[in-house]
Amino acid sequence: MKDISISINKVDNEDKCSGKAKYVADYKLEGMLYAFTVRSQIAKGEILKIEYPELPNGYYVVDYKDVPGKNIVKVIYEDMPVFTTGKITYLYEPISLIIGPEKQVLNDLLKQVKITYKEEEPVFEWTDSVVHYHFDKGLGEKAFQGLEKVEYDYKTSYQEQAYIETQGFIGYPEKDKVTLLGSIQCPYYVKNAVVQALGEKEDNVRVIQATVGGAFGGKEEYPSLIGCQLAVAVKKIKKPIQLIFEREEDMLVTTKRHPSRVHFEGYVLDNKIHGLKAVVGIDGGANIGLSGVVLSRALIACTGAYKIDNLDISGDVFRTNTVPNGAFRGFGAPQMFFAVEMFFEHVAKKLGIDPLEFKLNHLAKQNDFTSTMGIFRDPVLMPEMITKVIETSDYLNKRKEYEKSEFKGVGMSLFFHGCGFTGSGEQNHIKAKVKLKKDKDKVYILIAAVDMGQGVKTSFRKLVSHILEIDIERVIFDNPDTDFVPDSGPTVASRTMMIVGGIVARAAKEMKDRFDEESFVVEKQYVQPEYIKYDEATFKGDAYPAYSWGVNVVEVEVDKDTYQVSIKKTWSVYDIGKAIDERIVMGQADGGLAQGLAYGYLEVMEHKQGKIMQKNMTDYIIPTAMDMCPMETYLFDNPYAFGPYGAKGVGELSLIGGAPAVAMAIEQAIKRRVFKIPVTPEYIMELINNGEN
Amino acid sequence: MVTSYIPLNLDECLKILSDKQVRIVAGGTDMLIQNRSHTSMPIGFKSDVCYISNIEELKKIYEDETFVYIGSVCSLEAIMESELVPELLKNTILEMASPAIRHTATLAGNIGNASPAGDSLVPLYLLDALVEKRSIKGVSKVALSDFITGVRKIDLEKDELITKVIIPKISFTKSYFKKVGPRLSDAISKLSFAGAYKLENDLVKDIRIAFGSVNVTVVRRRDLEERLIGKTKDEVKKMVSEIVDWYEEFIKPIDDQRSNKEYRKSISLKLLRSFIENIE
Ligand SMILES: Cc1cc2nc3c(=O)[nH]c(=O)nc-3n(C[C@H](O)[C@H](O)[C@H](O)COP(=O)(O)OP(=O)(O)OC[C@H]3O[C@@H](n4cnc5c(N)ncnc54)[C@H](O)[C@@H]3O)c2cc1C
Repeated sequence: MKDISISINKVDNEDKCSGKAKYVADYKLEGMLYAFTVRSQIAKGEILKIEYPELPNGYYVVDYKDVPGKNIVKVIYEDMPVFTTGKITYLYEPISLIIGPEKQVLNDLLKQVKITYKEEEPVFEWTDSVVHYHFDKGLGEKAFQGLEKVEYDYKTSYQEQAYIETQGFIGYPEKDKVTLLGSIQCPYYVKNAVVQALGEKEDNVRVIQATVGGAFGGKEEYPSLIGCQLAVAVKKIKKPIQLIFEREEDMLVTTKRHPSRVHFEGYVLDNKIHGLKAVVGIDGGANIGLSGVVLSRALIACTGAYKIDNLDISGDVFRTNTVPNGAFRGFGAPQMFFAVEMFFEHVAKKLGIDPLEFKLNHLAKQNDFTSTMGIFRDPVLMPEMITKVIETSDYLNKRKEYEKSEFKGVGMSLFFHGCGFTGSGEQNHIKAKVKLKKDKDKVYILIAAVDMGQGVKTSFRKLVSHILEIDIERVIFDNPDTDFVPDSGPTVASRTMMIVGGIVARAAKEMKDRFDEESFVVEKQYVQPEYIKYDEATFKGDAYPAYSWGVNVVEVEVDKDTYQVSIKKTWSVYDIGKAIDERIVMGQADGGLAQGLAYGYLEVMEHKQGKIMQKNMTDYIIPTAMDMCPMETYLFDNPYAFGPYGAKGVGELSLIGGAPAVAMAIEQAIKRRVFKIPVTPEYIMELINNGEN
Repeated sequence: MVTSYIPLNLDECLKILSDKQVRIVAGGTDMLIQNRSHTSMPIGFKSDVCYISNIEELKKIYEDETFVYIGSVCSLEAIMESELVPELLKNTILEMASPAIRHTATLAGNIGNASPAGDSLVPLYLLDALVEKRSIKGVSKVALSDFITGVRKIDLEKDELITKVIIPKISFTKSYFKKVGPRLSDAISKLSFAGAYKLENDLVKDIRIAFGSVNVTVVRRRDLEERLIGKTKDEVKKMVSEIVDWYEEFIKPIDDQRSNKEYRKSISLKLLRSFIENIE
C-alpha cells in the first residue's frame, strides 16, 4: 500500500480557485435583512439613556431585552453578555443590532443613535487580576536558596489573526428552528451558546458551516457572541438576517492574541538552571473568556523544550478595559516560547557559555518529567533534529562568522507543542463523538471538524479511503451541519487529526470489517489513554497526551542605515508523528512559520486608550511574499500510538518557533539583547542607541 | 445618487469638468479607498465623478530635447516600462504598491492625492517636474512644488485636469531613491529619501536632496543644495556633519500608527549622511 504521507491534490482546490466555493457572504436569501451593530463609544462606564431614531417600517432594534434565555455567551468562562445591559467595559462593546433591508438606511440610522453615558476612568494597567494560578515542581523556591540568580523580563504584544474572510453569519428561521450559517471553527460551540441564549431545546438550534476563509483561532469563541446576537434577532423578527463584519470593524472589536509579560529568575548551579521562577501576566481584555486556558498553556510551557527540576511558577490574567483577547494559533505557547528561548540565550551569555551548548545540556529526553510532573512518554528526537538543522543550515559556521561581522545574524529556536486540549479537557468537557456512515458505495464522514483552509477535508477523506482501501471519490465529507453530525469537538488545539482523526480511524477499521453490508453507521467516542491523569487545580500530571517538536533556524540581515530586517532563509525540522499528507503539512509549516516570524519582527498592534490603532490591512503589517524567504523544511517520523498512522498535532507547532528564532538572529546581528517582540526597526534603533550586549 | 461620467476623449472630459461638479477618478486606487463604504454597497463618493482612464490622448509617453512628457492616464506600470523615463523615477515606482495596483494607478493620481507619503513625489520634486493642467479655457504649466500646496491640497481649479507630468531631462552621475516602509510591498512609507548629483572633474556641478513623509510635503531645499555646488566632492564629503545639521530643522515628522518621529527623523538624516559619504 502507498505511504499515506504521499501528497494528493487538495480536494477543494478547484472549488476555491474557480470561485465556486461559497462563503457566507455569497449566500443571498430571499427577503434577507442586514444587521449593523450599535457600539459603545467609551471604554468604561454606564449607559444612562439610548435614543434611537424613529425606525422606518421593516426596521428593528434588537438588544438585551430580547434575549429569551441567559444573556451570557457560553464559553469556558461565562462573563460576556450577548448584549450589554448598560455596563460598558470596552470601547466598541456591542449594545444592540439595528436590522433592516437597506444598508444605506441602516448606516444613516446608526449615525443617529444617541447614547448618554456616565463615564468612568478606564483601567489599562495590569492590576485587576481575575485569574491567578500557581504551581511548583520539585522543591519549588526552596531549591533556589544560595544559588546564583539570573533574571530577565520579556514582553510580547498583540497579534491579529488577519484571516482573509471577516467574521460573519446568516441566520434564518426554519419552522421552530433558528438556523445559523457561518464562518466558524466550532459548530457546536456556537450551537451550545445559542441554545443557552435562546433558552431553547437543542433540536431548535441548527448551525451550519459555510466555506471558511481562514480563522487561526479567531473563529473559535468569537462567533459564539455574534451567533447568539443574530439568533436572538432571528427569533424575534423571523426573517433571514445577515451579520457580516467589515474589515475595520473586525479588527477593532474581535479577539486577539494576549499581550504578555514574563519575569524569569533562573537559579544556576554548575552552569545549569537548577531552579526557575516565573511570574507571568497576560492581558485578558474586558472579558475572561478563554484567557485562563491560554494562561495555563503558557505556564505549562514555562521550561520550553528543557528539563528543569525545581519550579515556582505563577501567572495572572488581568482584566483591562480593552477589546477581549482570545484564541489564536498557539494559544499562549508563542508568548512563553519567545520568553523562555530568549531567557536561555541570555542566561548562557551571562554565564559565558555557548547558548546552543547550554540548551543542549538542558534538553528534555524521553521519560523525563514535564513541568507538571507528567512524562514525555514518546521518544524525543530533538538531538537528531538539531543535527539535521545544523547540517542543512550551516548554523555553526554562520553563528561563528556573524559574531565577528555586523548586521548579520542567525538564530535557532527549540520548541514543542502539547497536542490537543490541556489536561483532561477531552475526557471531561469535549467527549468527542464521530460517525461514519456507509450508504451503498459511498462513505460519509460525519464530524464537526471545519476545513478553514488547513486541509481537513483532504486529509480526512484520504485517511478514511486509505483505511477502507477505496477510491477517495467514494468518501464524502460535507461542511458540518449540527443537524447531521455529532459533536466531535471544536477545530482547535491541533487536535483534529490526532484526536478526531484517531477516532475516525478506529471507526473506519470497524467499517472495513463489515464492508460487505450495504448501509450502516459506525459510531465511536473518544477514549482517553489510560495514563492521562491531570489535576487542573494543582497543575499536576500529564497535561497532554503527546507532544510535537520543532527546530527553526532563521538567518537575517539588518539594514545598517534603516534597521529594516530582511529574512534571508529558514531551515526547519518538525516531528509531528506522521504526515497524513505531506504537502498539507508543508503548507502548515510555511504558513505557520511566516505568521510566527511576523509576530517576532513585523506585526505591530497597539491600543491607545483602549482603541486599536492598526485597524486595517494598510496599517497592520502582515508579511507579503516579498517579505518572506525560501523555507527549507524536513519532517521526522515519530509515530504516536493513538494518532491515526501515528499522527500528532501540526497546525500550531509551526507558529511557535518563528518569533524567538528571528529575535535571536536579530540579537546577533545588532549585538544587543532583545527583550520584546515585535523587534521593529524602531525598537532596534532604541537598542542600538541604549541597549546592552 | 452619484452620476458617473466616462468621457472618451479630452475635449469631452474638459466640457464635463466645466459644466458639472465632479471629482476626477483615474486609477481609483486612492479614490475608491477614501470613499469606501460597506461591502456590496455603492462606493461612497460624495459628489458626481468623472472616470478619465479611457482618454487615449492622455496615455502617451514621449520626449523632446529638454523634457519627457508623461500623459496623466499612463499607469505606473507603463511608466516603469518606458525607456524614456529617468531611472530614478522608475526605481521609485518599482517600490510603490504591488503589481496589481501599479497596473491601474497613475502618476498624476499620486500627485493629485498629494499625500505627505506619496512616493513618486520625492523623485519628482528632485527632478524639478512640472505639471501641465488644462481646462476648457486653456493650458498652463506649473512647477510640482508650487502645485502641491499642503497635505492633500493642490492648486487645481474645479474645471481643470492634470494632463501631463513633465520631467526635465537631466543627467546625473548618480541618483538614488530609498523607501523605508514597514514591509517590502503594498506599504505606505515611514519615510523616503532621494538624492542625485553630477560631478565634473570631481567638482559638484549639481546636487539635489529630497525627503518624503517627514513634513507636510516633500522637503527639498535649493538654498542648501546651492551652497554645495562648485565645491569638490571631497570638500562636500568633509562637510557631511554640517550638511546633516542644516537639514535637521526641516525634518519634522510625526508619531502615528506606522512609526514614530524619532525613528523617522534619525533615519532620514542617516540616509542623508550615507548619501553624502558615498559620493564618488
Ligand atoms: C494597496 C495599495 C498600495 C499602495 N501603495 C502605494 C505606495 O507604495 N506608494 C504611494 O505613493 N502610493 C501608494 N498607494 C496609493 C495610490 O495607489 C497612489 O497614490 C496612486 O498613484 C494613485 O493613482 P490613481 O490613478 O489610482 O489615483 P485616483 O485614486 O484615481 O486619484 C487620486 C487623486 O488624484 C486626483 N486625480 C487623479 N488623476 C487626476 C488628473 N489627471 N487630474 C487631476 N486630478 C487627478 C483624484 O481626483 C484624486 O483626488 C497605494 C494604494 C493601494 C490601494
